[in-house]
Amino acid sequence: MAESKEEATPRSRGKKVKDAAKGVLYGMAAHGHVTAALRTRMYLEHLFMFITLGDMLGVPVIPPYYSLKILPYAVPNIKSWKQRVFRERDFTDQVF
Amino acid sequence: MVDILSTPFLWVVVTMGLYAVAYWGYGKWIDRNVWRSNAKKATPAHMYMDGVEYFPVSRYVLWGYQFKSVAALGPILGPFIGVTFGWLPALLWIIGGNFFIGWLQDYGSMMLSVRKEGRSFGPITYEFTGARGRTNLLAFVLFYLVIISAAFIALIATFWNSFKGTTFVPTIGILLAGLLCGQLLYRVKMNVFAVTAIGLALVGLSLYLGPILPVILPFGTWNIAAWAGICILILYLAAVLPTPTFIQPTNYLAFYPAYAAIILILIGALATPFTLGASPPVGIQLDMGPFLTDPQGILGPIWPILFVAIACGAISGWHSLVSSSSSAKQLDIETDALPVGGGAMLSEGMLALASLIAYMVLSKAFVFGVVGDPTNPPHTNIASWPVGAALLVSRVIGVSATNVLLTTFFGLVLVIYALTVQALVTRFFRLVAAETWSEGRFRVFGNKHVSTAVGLGVPWAFAVTGSWWALWLYFGGANQLLAGLAIMLITIHLAKVRAPTKFSLIPGVFMVVTTLAALVWQTWTFLYSVWLYVQGDKSWIIRNVRGPIQTDSNLILIAVGINAVFVLVGAVLFGIGLSMAIRLFRSYRTSMTEARARAPAAADGGTREK
Repeated sequence: MAESKEEATPRSRGKKVKDAAKGVLYGMAAHGHVTAALRTRMYLEHLFMFITLGDMLGVPVIPPYYSLKILPYAVPNIKSWKQRVFRERDFTDQVF
Repeated sequence: MVDILSTPFLWVVVTMGLYAVAYWGYGKWIDRNVWRSNAKKATPAHMYMDGVEYFPVSRYVLWGYQFKSVAALGPILGPFIGVTFGWLPALLWIIGGNFFIGWLQDYGSMMLSVRKEGRSFGPITYEFTGARGRTNLLAFVLFYLVIISAAFIALIATFWNSFKGTTFVPTIGILLAGLLCGQLLYRVKMNVFAVTAIGLALVGLSLYLGPILPVILPFGTWNIAAWAGICILILYLAAVLPTPTFIQPTNYLAFYPAYAAIILILIGALATPFTLGASPPVGIQLDMGPFLTDPQGILGPIWPILFVAIACGAISGWHSLVSSSSSAKQLDIETDALPVGGGAMLSEGMLALASLIAYMVLSKAFVFGVVGDPTNPPHTNIASWPVGAALLVSRVIGVSATNVLLTTFFGLVLVIYALTVQALVTRFFRLVAAETWSEGRFRVFGNKHVSTAVGLGVPWAFAVTGSWWALWLYFGGANQLLAGLAIMLITIHLAKVRAPTKFSLIPGVFMVVTTLAALVWQTWTFLYSVWLYVQGDKSWIIRNVRGPIQTDSNLILIAVGINAVFVLVGAVLFGIGLSMAIRLFRSYRTSMTEARARAPAAADGGTREK
């Protein structure tokens, strides 16, 4: 109830309109570019993970000594990396 | 006296009112009763959140993104052909097409993808129609991309060749400003607001320089071919360079003038009753129609041509790919699909309306050209839009309608709409080609440079030889057919979950039949032209091509060859489209039979519960 009362005040309404306008402008001008930049980073991260964990996957990319040295940087990303590389991908995903 | 009926004002208000009914009436009803969207149900953005592809985004941001992704040259140039049959049928299609089909497809594609765990149309087609269906889709999309590219390259070349050569320098200015902004943003790591300010100042400067430094090529009738060559060089760079270096900052900068133009035209159209006293008056000059066939005897009958000529703004298949690609993966809650998918499409309808109005206020001879007049041949003055737009806007901002900066600005807007979209299309073609020919005998076509060269070379050949209206109608036919196929996919899903299907089945059947008929008509036109040539009549052959092939009698055999190639293109598009449609209708029938045979118990939001 408190929330709905807050929503009714002209100030919060004004803020909502301002946020919506900002959101629309951001969405039109930059959201696609931000997503594209994130995707580029994702592919670079995939490469990094592959280089680091290549040994364990049976593809030795760099000597194990260096793999082990950069392993601490790779470990926090393993979960999301697995999630992303196992995902089904298709040409229609690449439209935008 | 102010006569509102002689201005476009009334039609803007009527269209806005009907679109409001489409959104708050029909749209909300479909959302509640057919798709049964549920705000509490987890969307793929939450289920598979990875912060890259899947993450929840505010509906306002997503609306802006969706609108920007779907609104381009289609709603601006489609009405140029559509208005041939009178402005009333064009207006009715923009209103009715969007009301019953357009928003339904965009919204339905998004909901379908959301209900299918954020998957895009490729895997969904595979699920519904099998491996062959997906291969069919892949082949269709490849052809579709070639045709879009041909139409857009032809348009960009024509735009550069028009407006007394004033738009080329501003275009290059935007591209260079984009390159600079990309470096400032990613290498120098400058603040995005400062980069935007610098970029926009450079865009303004290049716009100012446009009329001062006009570029007119000296090749006469070969000018279009030369401009198209320059265009494909730029597109080649856009397709092979990393996106943050070229496409991304350029598209970002281009966004500002492109969308400022839309807002200005809509304000201009709404203001017409209040500026009527000004001279010359801004009133409706074109014929209302309806004309059942093209009065100039070129395009053909109103059905099916009008329905493929005006694609985006009424309905467009490209939108289904966009809706199911990124937007569906970032939808925060299911109930956002209506404002994002449906709302963006209805807003695009307003852009089509604004463009239609920009043509309506111009004279008939100027827009349509005159049969037999070599200086103003029929259906070629695609530079009408900037003139109409400048006329509408000039009253509001208090400058002359012939102000060179104003016409250059709108001319530039046309170029950047075409160029930015085409850059993405070329890149997409490269990715699809890599998917198609990644292995096997033809794997050379999967190579980045070879596929880009093919994806630009073939369209260039079409663009510099075929008449632009023929390219546009093939593009419209393919685009609308894709829309029909997307609606059929939506219908199959609804059948599988025992939701009402007639609201999408009827539009789906209409679109598939109409667009296949349009492809048959177009193919027949080219075939008939070749047949007439064999009988000794050259008139049809040469009207389907552009200069210099059109005017040089020594090149008549090339004209025949081009007509024959267009017969082949039409036949292939028709064949793939028909095969795809048959698969989808079979799948729909099977889904209905299966759905009737089992109890409605699937765990899907669209399932009817007992």
